[in-house]
Amino acid sequence: MTWAVALAVGVVIAAGTWLALSRSLLRCLIGLALLGNGVNLLLFASGRLTVNLPPVIDAAESLLAKASNPLPQALVLTAIVISFALLCFSLVLAIRLLESAGHDDLALLRAAEPPANDATKPVLEEDR
Amino acid sequence: MAKTRASEHHAGAAGKDLFYALIPGSVFVAFCLGLLFVPLPWRVAWPWVPSLGIELALVVDGLAAQFILLITGIGTLVFAYGAGYLAGDCRRHRVFVVLSLFMAAMLGAVASDNLLSLFVFWELTSVFSFLLVGFNHEQESSRKSAQQALLLTGFGGLCLLAGIILLTSVSGSSSLEILISRAPQYSSEPLLKAALALIFLGAFTKSAQFPFHFWLPNAMAAPTPVSAYLHSATMVKLGIYLLARLDAAFSDMIFWEYALIGAGTLTAVIAAGQTLLERDLKRILAWSTIATLGTLVMLVGLPGKGAALAVCTLFFAHALYKAPLFFVAGNLDHGAGTRDIDKLTGMRHHMPWTATIALLASLSMAGLPLTFGFIAKDAITLAKAQAGTLDLVSYATVFINGISVAVAAIAAIRVFWGVDTASAAVRPQEVPLCMVLPPFILVALGIVFGLKPTLVDPVLGSAVLAISPGFDPAAVQSSYDIAPVLEAVLGSLIFGGLVYRFWDRLHLLLRRGPHFDRLGPEAWYRWTLAALPILAARQTRLLQHGDLPRYLMTLIGTTTLLVLMLLVIARPPWNWPDQSSLTLPVVGASLLIAAGALTSLMVRNLLVLLLVSGLVGYGSAILFLFTGAPDLAFTQFAVETVFVVVAATVLLRLRRLSTGAASPRGGWLPKALRLLLAAACGTTMAVLLLLVSGSPFDQQLSDFFGEQSLAVARGRNVVNVIIVDFRAFDTLGEIAVLAFALLAALPLLGAVKRRLP
Repeated sequence: MTWAVALAVGVVIAAGTWLALSRSLLRCLIGLALLGNGVNLLLFASGRLTVNLPPVIDAAESLLAKASNPLPQALVLTAIVISFALLCFSLVLAIRLLESAGHDDLALLRAAEPPANDATKPVLEEDR
Repeated sequence: MAKTRASEHHAGAAGKDLFYALIPGSVFVAFCLGLLFVPLPWRVAWPWVPSLGIELALVVDGLAAQFILLITGIGTLVFAYGAGYLAGDCRRHRVFVVLSLFMAAMLGAVASDNLLSLFVFWELTSVFSFLLVGFNHEQESSRKSAQQALLLTGFGGLCLLAGIILLTSVSGSSSLEILISRAPQYSSEPLLKAALALIFLGAFTKSAQFPFHFWLPNAMAAPTPVSAYLHSATMVKLGIYLLARLDAAFSDMIFWEYALIGAGTLTAVIAAGQTLLERDLKRILAWSTIATLGTLVMLVGLPGKGAALAVCTLFFAHALYKAPLFFVAGNLDHGAGTRDIDKLTGMRHHMPWTATIALLASLSMAGLPLTFGFIAKDAITLAKAQAGTLDLVSYATVFINGISVAVAAIAAIRVFWGVDTASAAVRPQEVPLCMVLPPFILVALGIVFGLKPTLVDPVLGSAVLAISPGFDPAAVQSSYDIAPVLEAVLGSLIFGGLVYRFWDRLHLLLRRGPHFDRLGPEAWYRWTLAALPILAARQTRLLQHGDLPRYLMTLIGTTTLLVLMLLVIARPPWNWPDQSSLTLPVVGASLLIAAGALTSLMVRNLLVLLLVSGLVGYGSAILFLFTGAPDLAFTQFAVETVFVVVAATVLLRLRRLSTGAASPRGGWLPKALRLLLAAACGTTMAVLLLLVSGSPFDQQLSDFFGEQSLAVARGRNVVNVIIVDFRAFDTLGEIAVLAFALLAALPLLGAVKRRLP
C-alpha cells in the first residue's frame, strides 16, 4: 500500500516542481497547488497507513481502540486549509498582475531588481 | 602640522587641565602605598557565570604590578604633558576622558585572571584606541588610520577569542592561574597548537608584529600624548604581556619557541629597515617601537631563565626612553611647527630643555653605560648567551641595535645640533614647563636606575618570578661577564654610527629601490578592503537576479539537496516497507493521483490544466476516505471544488485561457535542468516516504491523544479534539491566516472588478 502512495507522492511532487518552474505565472500557481497536495500526502502517509477505521472512540469505550493515527490527520487538516488560503491569495495577486501587465510571462515581468542596465539582469531569450 | 606655535596665550589654560593628571596620579600613589604594605599577590574574585564555573577574578602578581606601575605612572606624566600639548583645543576634555577610560581598561586587562574578562578589557582598549587615533576626525587620513587600527586589532581580537575558547576547552579552565599550573597535563593535546596559533594572531595584531605591523606607524595620526601612551608604552605591550603570562605554561614547547623567535626577529628586522624610509621623526620612532616590540616577542620565545629578566628589563627601559622621545617629537611639532627631520636642525639654540631630554633619552636608547638602556642590553645579551640562539638571530640583533643607535642619534644630534637655519620670522621657541617636566622626570629616572639598578630590583624581581617561577637571581649574577655586553654595545655603536653618517644616502637608495609598502602587507590590506564591496556586489547580484523561476529553482534544489544529504549522512537502516495488504481503493486512488499529475504536464490549455490538476485533489480525498480519515476527505473535496470553480470563473472572465510560453523557449539546458530538478525532487520525496515507512514507528504521541481525548477533553472524535482543544491556539492562528488572506484579497479584487466589464 505504501508503495502505491509513494509512487503517487513522487509523481505529484515532480509534476508540481515542473509546473512551478514554468515561465507562466498561472502554471506556476497550479504547480504550487500540486506541491502542496504532494506534501500533504507525504505527511499523511508517514503516519502509517494500517487500518481503515476513523480515530473515533466507541461509545462503550474510554480509550481509542485500534484505529488510524489521529495525529497526522490533525496536522494535514490544518495544512489543507492554510494552503487553500495561500492559493486563493496568490490567485488574487496573479489576477491583479495579469490585469495590469496584460500577460503572465515571468521573463517579461522585469520591474524587479536589478535595474535594467545592470550587467546581471537576466537576458531575455528573444534578445539572445 | 598646522599647530599654533604660540605657547604664551594658552599657558594659563594648561593650569586647570593639570587636574586631569590627578586621575592616574592618585591610582599610582594608592598602588605604590599598597605595594609597600600588602605583599603580592593580591586576589579578589566575584562569581560571574556560576553555572559555568566562571568567576570574575582580579589577581595582581609581580608581572601585573610592573604593568600597573607603568600604566599609572606614565599615565600621570602623559596627562600632565597632554594638558600643555592640547591647551586651547576645545576637544581636549574628550581626549582626557577617553584616556582615563582607556587606562581603566588597561588596568582591567593586566589584572584579569579570567581569560574571558581579559578579552573584554582587551577589546575595550582597541575601541578606545580607535577613538583616540581618529581624534582629528575631519582629516580623511586620520579616519582611515583609525579604521585600519580598529579592523586589524578587531580581527586579532576575534582570533584571540577563538583561541581563548579553544584553550579553555583543552585545559578545562578559563582561569590563568589554574590553566598555567595544569599545563603539563594537556601539553600534548593536538588542539593546543591551534589554540596557541589563534592566541598568537591576537597578540601579534595588538603588538604590531609582521604582517600586521603597519597599523602602528599610521596610528601616529593620533595626538602625541596618545601616541606616547597607547602606541609606545602601554597598549601595544598588551600582546607581549599575554605572551609573557602564558610563557610560564608553554615555554617548553618547540612550537612556542620557534613561532615567537621567528615572528619577533622578522618583525624587528623589517621594522628596522623601514625606519630608513621615513622623514617624519614621529614615524621613525614608531618604526623603532615596532622593532623593540619584535625584540620583546623574540625574548619571550627564548628558552632559559634569563629571558624573563630580559623581557621585564626591556619593558621598563623602553617605556623610560621611548615615551620621552615621543614627547620630544611633540615638542618639536609645537615649538617649531614640523617633525620633518630635513627641516629641523640646530634646534638646541631655541629649545635647550627639549634638547637635553632628547640627548638623555637617546643615550639610554643607544644602550650606553650608566643608563637603564645599558642594563636592558646587559640582560638581553645574557639571555641570548644562556639560550644559545641561532647565528641568524644574533646577526639580526646587531642590525636592529645598530639602527636603534642611528635613530637615537637622529633624535638627539641631527635635529638639535648642527647649523641653526631657522629664519627670524618663524622663530621656534621652547615649550611651556608642563611639556618639559614629564619627559624630564622619565629620562632622569632612566639615568638614576642606570646608575643604581638595585632600586628597581623588587619590582623586576617579582615580575620575573611571575613569568618564570623558578628564577634565581644569584645564578644570573654568578655567571655574569661584562665583556660580551661591552662588545655588543660597541658593535652596535659602530654600525649605528655608520648608518647615521650615511642616513640620507641610504634613504635615497632605499626610496629608489622596490617599495616594500606597495607590495607588502599594507597593500594586501588595501586590496582586501577594496575587494570586499566588489565581492559583496557580485554575490548579491548572483543571488538576487530578479528571475522568479531561478529563485524557485534555487529553493527547491536546496531543499532536495538537504533531504538527500540527510538521507546519506544519517544512514538510516535501509528498510523498505513490505508490499502486503494492498487494498484496491487505495491503489486506485494513488493511480488516479499519479494520472492527474502526469496529464497536467501535457496539457497546454490553462482551463483544462486546472481541471486535470483537480484530479490530484479528488484522488487525495478518495485516498483519505479509504484510510480512516473521513474528516480529511470531506475537507479536501470541499477545498478542491471551491478552488477549481473559483479559479475557472476568474480565468473565464479574464478570457486568457491559453497563455503563451509554457516553458522557457530555446536552449535545451534550462529545460533539461528543469526536468532533472523535477525528477530529483519527486524521487527524493518518494524514497523519503518509503524509508520513513520502513523504519520503526514511535506511537507515543498518538497514544497520548488516544488516551487523553475522552478523559481530559471530553471528546470522542480524536482528530477534532486535537484541532479544537489540544492545539486550539494553532487553530486560532490558522483562522487568523484565513481572515488576513481574505482581508488582503478584498481590496485587490475590488481594484480588478472596477476595471473589468
